[in-house]
Amino acid sequence: MTQDKAVQGVGRRDLLKLSAVAGAAIAGASLIGSRTAAAEGELSLKGKRIAISATGTDHFFDLQAYNAQIEEVKRLGGEPIAVDAGRNDGKLVSQLQTLIAQKPDAIVQILGTLSVIDPWLKKARDAGIPVLTVDVGSTNSINNTTSDNWGIGKDLALQLVSDIGGEGNIVVFNGFYGVTPCAIRYDQLVNVVKYFPKVKILEPELRDVIPNTVQDAFTQITALLNKYPEKGSIKAIWSAWDIPQLGATQAVAAAGRTEILTYGVDGSPEVLQLVADPNSPAGADVAQQPAEIGRTAIQNVARLLAGQTLPRETYVPALIANKANVNEVSKKLGIG
Amino acid sequence: MSVDIQLAPVIHFEPGLSTSKPSRGGNLAAGALRAGSLVAFVTILLVFSLTAPYFLSVGNIGNVLGQSAISGVLAIGLTIVLIAGGSNVVTGGIDLSLAANMGLSAAVYATAAQLGYGDATAVAGALLTGLLIGAINAIAVVGAGIVPLLATLAVMNIVAGLELVLTQNTVIPASTPLLTDLSSSGPLGIPALAYVLLVFTLIAAAIVQHTPAGLRLYAVGEFPDAARAAGLPVRRLVAGAFMASGFCGGVAGVLSVSNLSGSTTGSGEMLLPVVVTALLGSVFSRRLVPTVIGTLLSTLFVGFLVNGFQLLNISSVLVSGVQGLLILLVVSATTLLRRQEA
Repeated sequence: MTQDKAVQGVGRRDLLKLSAVAGAAIAGASLIGSRTAAAEGELSLKGKRIAISATGTDHFFDLQAYNAQIEEVKRLGGEPIAVDAGRNDGKLVSQLQTLIAQKPDAIVQILGTLSVIDPWLKKARDAGIPVLTVDVGSTNSINNTTSDNWGIGKDLALQLVSDIGGEGNIVVFNGFYGVTPCAIRYDQLVNVVKYFPKVKILEPELRDVIPNTVQDAFTQITALLNKYPEKGSIKAIWSAWDIPQLGATQAVAAAGRTEILTYGVDGSPEVLQLVADPNSPAGADVAQQPAEIGRTAIQNVARLLAGQTLPRETYVPALIANKANVNEVSKKLGIG
Repeated sequence: MSVDIQLAPVIHFEPGLSTSKPSRGGNLAAGALRAGSLVAFVTILLVFSLTAPYFLSVGNIGNVLGQSAISGVLAIGLTIVLIAGGSNVVTGGIDLSLAANMGLSAAVYATAAQLGYGDATAVAGALLTGLLIGAINAIAVVGAGIVPLLATLAVMNIVAGLELVLTQNTVIPASTPLLTDLSSSGPLGIPALAYVLLVFTLIAAAIVQHTPAGLRLYAVGEFPDAARAAGLPVRRLVAGAFMASGFCGGVAGVLSVSNLSGSTTGSGEMLLPVVVTALLGSVFSRRLVPTVIGTLLSTLFVGFLVNGFQLLNISSVLVSGVQGLLILLVVSATTLLRRQEA
């Protein structure tokens, strides 16, 4: 039956290719267009059941990656089994257990706290199911598709340091050091700041929370601004993602302390809008390309199932959006 | 009635059977609902086993049992409070602090394990935490006379706050020999947690349904005045129910650490599903009252439902909707019937 499907698949793909070529010829489309279509046509998930396990889809990043993965599996002819744990670790573990029992051709895990998911990724691997991950490195994952978080952390830190003129106090949200991408970004900030002796990270560091991230960041920053009432006593606020940045930016604006700039990562549309607003204290937001990351992960699954060897990590470039280039970046991401 | 209860031999006993004579119509309808819910349960199992691949495999059934262990233990704790406090949702027995209790107990366990204490100390810490929370609830309800809904709501907030203080809202990974055993598979490749749930249910059912103390709980919950007149220590029994519930929170905490390889945030989200499960449990008992076995069945019902939906590849967005609809149907039917009986 699998063979049948494969044969059918080839037939359909050939038809697709033919129609693409024919279409190109008729419409007089560019050569590049048809070449891309042919190259993508080589990947197929025909007859494959691909499990997609998302930690949650309530953030811009996860939602984009999750939806793009489902679409990509369908586009490549496979059947997606998509489950969303709604940011509940218990549910996430249960869903992974059930997925393992369903014996899909591969499992793609989007995000998650490593210590929670890793034992179950290992069980999947032990059961002979290839595991791939998005934005969470694990020894049990064959390939991790992610943004280059070292690059993101460095770009954001350099932008921050340059915006504040290489001196002053910065406030840092560091509540999720247990989440690998956040840890890398934070470490890069520390690495950059190390060489700017006049830049100081204020102690104690703040802890961002889930849920109620925005309100909580708002409350914490408001309290901190009361503690440091002098203008210039704080130059910038950094967080490893941009939802705390959203609350922080609102708090800074509400307190009239717009000399303080805020920095974050993820390219959430509402934060990019703030960066675009010349009067807003939002300084920069490094935008990942979540949909592209999702598609790439699924293409990696197809490559793996076709017998290719995958690299440990596949990096999808991130784009730093600052006051100068934010409109350009938003356009590239297909928002705004 | 007091004579009845005190001399009741330690055998299976349907509480309240001798107390009121419901109308024949009500009886029939109650029977229909009871049978109906069992039929619905079996039908859903049948439909899933025919349509959902892997549903009937031993591994999958074991998975569902294992996944139901934590909510099952919590729901059984709540059932004991429901029995002793009566099933009026607003003024009757309820313990809203259970999920937060599990979170704090789990955090205590994980923290102790991280500090290098052995399993015995860590388990004792978690169980004592649970018992302590139960004791505070008991004092608030029995001592201060606060309605359980409000008393346990306040305690829930205190406990959730303590968990935040202890964990700083982060994940505390833990790995101990006990945790490894609990998260591994037992005989037949069925998760150890599944066996834990079954054994725990059997012990709880034996105590609640088959001992004099358990029967007195029902007397206190259904007719507190009569129970008091009969000389039952009503306050002590209600306090005991909250302690038992707190203990269940501690046990669930340990199980949760094993399932999630540590203590994680967001335990509060367990509360409403657990309340719903415990309330739903009534339809699986002969007289539509909360029972331990009824609660186990209702836990498994919800567990199989979620599992079947995933196996059928039905979007998880729909699961909670369908679940809510079923629960609304069943609970409203029970409520109407009980009113008719009264």
